[in-house]
Amino acid sequence: MENYFSIERFIHVFPKVISSLPVNLHIVFWSMLLGTLLAVFVAVLRLHRVPVVSGLLGLYISFMRGTPLLVQMMIAFYGIPIVLGTVFLNLFGINLNRLEPVIFVEIAIILNEGAFLGEIFRGAITSVPAVQSEAGYSIGMTGAQTFVRIVLPQAFKVAIPHYGVDLIGVFQNTSLVFMLGVVDLLGRAKTIGAASGHTIEGYVAAALIYIAFSLLLKGTFLLIEKKLSGGEVKLV
Amino acid sequence: MSFSVSSFWESLVSALAYAPVTIKLTAITFVVSLVLGTIIATIRYYKIPVLSQIFAVFVTAYLGLPTMVAILLYNIIFMTCYADVANVLHITVPISEVDPIIIGYFVLILGTSCSVSESVRGAFRGIDKVQFEAGYSIGLGKFKTLTRVIYPQMVPILLPGLQNSLIGLLKASNLVSAISVIEIMTGALLPSLLYYSYLEGYVAAALVYWLIGIGIEVIGYLAEKNSGKYLKQVATG
Repeated sequence: MENYFSIERFIHVFPKVISSLPVNLHIVFWSMLLGTLLAVFVAVLRLHRVPVVSGLLGLYISFMRGTPLLVQMMIAFYGIPIVLGTVFLNLFGINLNRLEPVIFVEIAIILNEGAFLGEIFRGAITSVPAVQSEAGYSIGMTGAQTFVRIVLPQAFKVAIPHYGVDLIGVFQNTSLVFMLGVVDLLGRAKTIGAASGHTIEGYVAAALIYIAFSLLLKGTFLLIEKKLSGGEVKLV
Repeated sequence: MSFSVSSFWESLVSALAYAPVTIKLTAITFVVSLVLGTIIATIRYYKIPVLSQIFAVFVTAYLGLPTMVAILLYNIIFMTCYADVANVLHITVPISEVDPIIIGYFVLILGTSCSVSESVRGAFRGIDKVQFEAGYSIGLGKFKTLTRVIYPQMVPILLPGLQNSLIGLLKASNLVSAISVIEIMTGALLPSLLYYSYLEGYVAAALVYWLIGIGIEVIGYLAEKNSGKYLKQVATG
């Protein structure tokens, strides 16, 4: 047993692995922030049914839903410098080939979230009964006022549980970034394993951190949901 | 450097050649997980002592574990422990002869069973208690009531969620590339390794995945249309 897994090595490795958690959280924070903004645009554009745009958005959502995130990350990593490289070099003097790989990871997750969250927001907005909009119009509110003051707050409550599940999904998806050479939890565990010859302890540490943090996020969202719905919690 | 159509074509052909590996992995995992997930959900629904508590804790914790971490962890455990376990069991096959896809099956089945069991538990809530009583009233046992009355009624409730899990599984099956199984993505990259045409390889892989994903969506749409039939018949007839 000592050959496979030693508690001593585990205690030694755990602080080193968890010190890379901020890398994962950094990715989650920026991806969720910009992904949410993109998703609101996607949802509103889809709801307005602009002729050509709506078809293109359908294609975009289908692509994001139908292909693995790892492949999307790789396409962003190899594709963006090829397509936009010369433009950025001439206009801003930025050499895209020199950028940190974590930026391409974030771009891929943001685009991915734009599609997934966009669908969640669209569903939430359509779930608000039309009577609510009519109520807004009947007291003389404009279209934008009705949307912001009446429809959006109600849609927000519908979207929150799904948003929580999605955020946990993004956190778990950060486990892929080591494939592009980002030193996150898993990347750290891997390098420690390569240096010391004992990989299992590092991976176990990473697994425990992922499970604990996912449960923490889940609990937080259940609390938020409880606050918003006045005590009732509906599990998704 | 630019996008070369000829390397893209070569990658696409190579990716398509390995598509059956991914499809087989996805399909077998899905069917096995559906059965296991239903069993777990049923045990938890009937609150069978000990087992239901164990599954409750296990499923909750396991859903927090990313597939990639699970794959790497089980792979390393497999690599370090295989020789000793094989010795004890008198297996003479050396580790180099064992296909790592076995670990892929194990990880994907375990993870998908957990998520499917949660969907099935949700579907149980959508079934009226009266349906159980109806089964018992005509003399069906507990097991017969489940298989003849309850499970069939769950199908239309479950289908949209199952379609999502199937697409999620297709995408998760991509991660077995990390333990050197050749599937669609690594297959598409085989020509890329010669010409450094990585972008072409990944785009080809994305295209193949997308086609399979659309296929699943079409099947899901047809299944959803057919499974709801009995509800409409009841409503109109």
